[in-house]
Amino acid sequence: MQGNVVEPLIRVEGLSKSFGSHLVLKDIDFAVNPGEVVTIIGASGSGKSTLLRCMNLLETPDSGHIWFHGEDLAADRVNINRLREKIGMVFQSFNLFNNMNVLDNCTLAPVTLKKMGKAEAEVEARRNLEAVGLSDFINAPSTSLSGGQKQRVAIARALCMKPDLMLFDEPTSALDPEIVGEVLNVMRDLAAEGMTMVVVTHEMAFAKNVSDKVVFMDQGVIAEESAPTEMFTNPKLPRTREFLARYLED
Amino acid sequence: MERLRKSCSFITDDHRYVFLGTSFVAAIGIWFSMQRRSAMSFLRGAYAFEVALYWFLMGWLALSAVALVLKLMHWKDYAKRSPFCKKPLVTVVRWLSYGVWAATAVLFVDRAVMGFLSVTSTALTQDKNPSGFLSSIVYMVDKSHDIIMQGVLTTVGLSVFGTLIAFFLAILLVFLRIQEVDRSDNDAVRFFKKAGVLFAKVYSTVVRGTPMMVQGMLIYFTGFGLLKGTGMTVSEIGTIWSTFIAGLVTISLNSTAYMMEVLRGGIESVDPGQNEAARSLGLSQWQAMIKVVFPQGIKNAIPALSNELVVNIKDSSVLSVIGVFDLMFATKTVVGIYFKQVEMYAVAAVVYLCLTMVASWLLGRFAKRLSVEPAPLLSTSDGSATVGTVAGTGSSSESLDAKKRPKRRSSRDAR
Repeated sequence: MQGNVVEPLIRVEGLSKSFGSHLVLKDIDFAVNPGEVVTIIGASGSGKSTLLRCMNLLETPDSGHIWFHGEDLAADRVNINRLREKIGMVFQSFNLFNNMNVLDNCTLAPVTLKKMGKAEAEVEARRNLEAVGLSDFINAPSTSLSGGQKQRVAIARALCMKPDLMLFDEPTSALDPEIVGEVLNVMRDLAAEGMTMVVVTHEMAFAKNVSDKVVFMDQGVIAEESAPTEMFTNPKLPRTREFLARYLED
Repeated sequence: MERLRKSCSFITDDHRYVFLGTSFVAAIGIWFSMQRRSAMSFLRGAYAFEVALYWFLMGWLALSAVALVLKLMHWKDYAKRSPFCKKPLVTVVRWLSYGVWAATAVLFVDRAVMGFLSVTSTALTQDKNPSGFLSSIVYMVDKSHDIIMQGVLTTVGLSVFGTLIAFFLAILLVFLRIQEVDRSDNDAVRFFKKAGVLFAKVYSTVVRGTPMMVQGMLIYFTGFGLLKGTGMTVSEIGTIWSTFIAGLVTISLNSTAYMMEVLRGGIESVDPGQNEAARSLGLSQWQAMIKVVFPQGIKNAIPALSNELVVNIKDSSVLSVIGVFDLMFATKTVVGIYFKQVEMYAVAAVVYLCLTMVASWLLGRFAKRLSVEPAPLLSTSDGSATVGTVAGTGSSSESLDAKKRPKRRSSRDAR
């Protein structure tokens, strides 16, 4: 291997997925390098979320490979639980564990899976909660938080497993416009720290300013893939131009 | 405190439609006064007082009739035209209406309460079953109270212990039922998971698809036959495989199937996102279930689960066919002694009703303690009907409360 060629952290190869007779993903090839922030944009139903959910096997692909740490996630009988520990996921609807408080949300997985002591896990959880600005809410029941707070806890919870890769599935779509900022700021900080992120989003400003690469999906295929400056000034395809019409600079 | 204030203001307020309700109350009082006085009647010696009460109530009916005619004459502007809505009279009428309640109450105590006490006291001194419905019931319940009491205790024991045992078995069974094959499972795990699901499905179908009476017969005689095969005598078998034990096994195994379905409903009503979040962190299916999904699912299921106790109190009655000495069997025994079917089965119905109402009330308080929406008082025996309501508890209860709140009728401001 040559020195200047970076091995991708996660590489999707020929991925296809259908729900019933409806083909959602058509032969997707896609790779994310370590430290890279990739945003996936596209219209609803274009397969963005499905692609993201395939990347940690929440959806089982019909065919194709997902290479991560030298293993194929899509292979039959792979130990997916162990690999998922390295892939954090943030959901549109937060999905905090309703039967626990904020701290337990964060320590559950480290204590259960890493055989970490409760105290040790708590230190890590406190550190991450502080980073997202929620150290005052450690003992609050997770159901009592606002949407923005929930989403920040969800990010802290994922970070407690020290993942190599973070997947964000429309993390701000369920939030009202005023609160979107607080979540995006946390994500921006995370990107600045060098976390590898794949973000499905409708926040074009975030895609433009924070990401290293923007992927435009249309009808189950990656229609266009380029640097954000390129994508938002001079998209190649008419379909991309149409989709981005509101955001394009003259 | 709020409730007290409300009822106080109801009493002191002037009511335009005061005659509507109290004329019925007065009619009931008059009906009581027409009944025969019993031996223990305290109005027996105060004839003049009773006549006064009677004519007071009759006068009230007449006054109501006048008010009704006025209302019919001035349908739209009754509040303005009727003297009953003007200041001195409306207050007088209000206080008189409390007199109507009091008079009716006196007559009720004299005729109904004292009448019942008098029937009871005479029935208790009889040495032969009296012919009257009420006195016969009092006589039989008094004479055979130990049989009935034993029946009640057996019914309560069967249903309470049966429900508890079934609850723990149902938890085990539901874990078999909800297993899904995971990608990382090897062949052996896949086989056992599929076998577990199949077993739980078959168990649930068979148990819920056959009558408990038949199950009781099968279980009792199967156990009996097996023990007989080991060479035990009938009396030896009776000590270890008593009808009570057989009944308890039947009711537990039967209830397990229903409770398993209730639990499954509760678990399936948990937002799938909860499971996905747990799995995305790397938790296995089992870990996600135990730590995240099940604790939420069982909370959803508590109202419907507690209904099972009420159902079991009622359904344990069919176990009397294998000779379990429950309330039904006790009732049949007493009927066999006195041949008074209607009287005794009425007693059984009342006792069953009391038991289920007490159980329902206690479980409602228990559910409130766990801050979940309590089940409707006295559920149906159809488990699936109650599972469906579990998911949408929050909003429906609010609208119910709004409907229940009584509207205050005040006459002061006529519209």
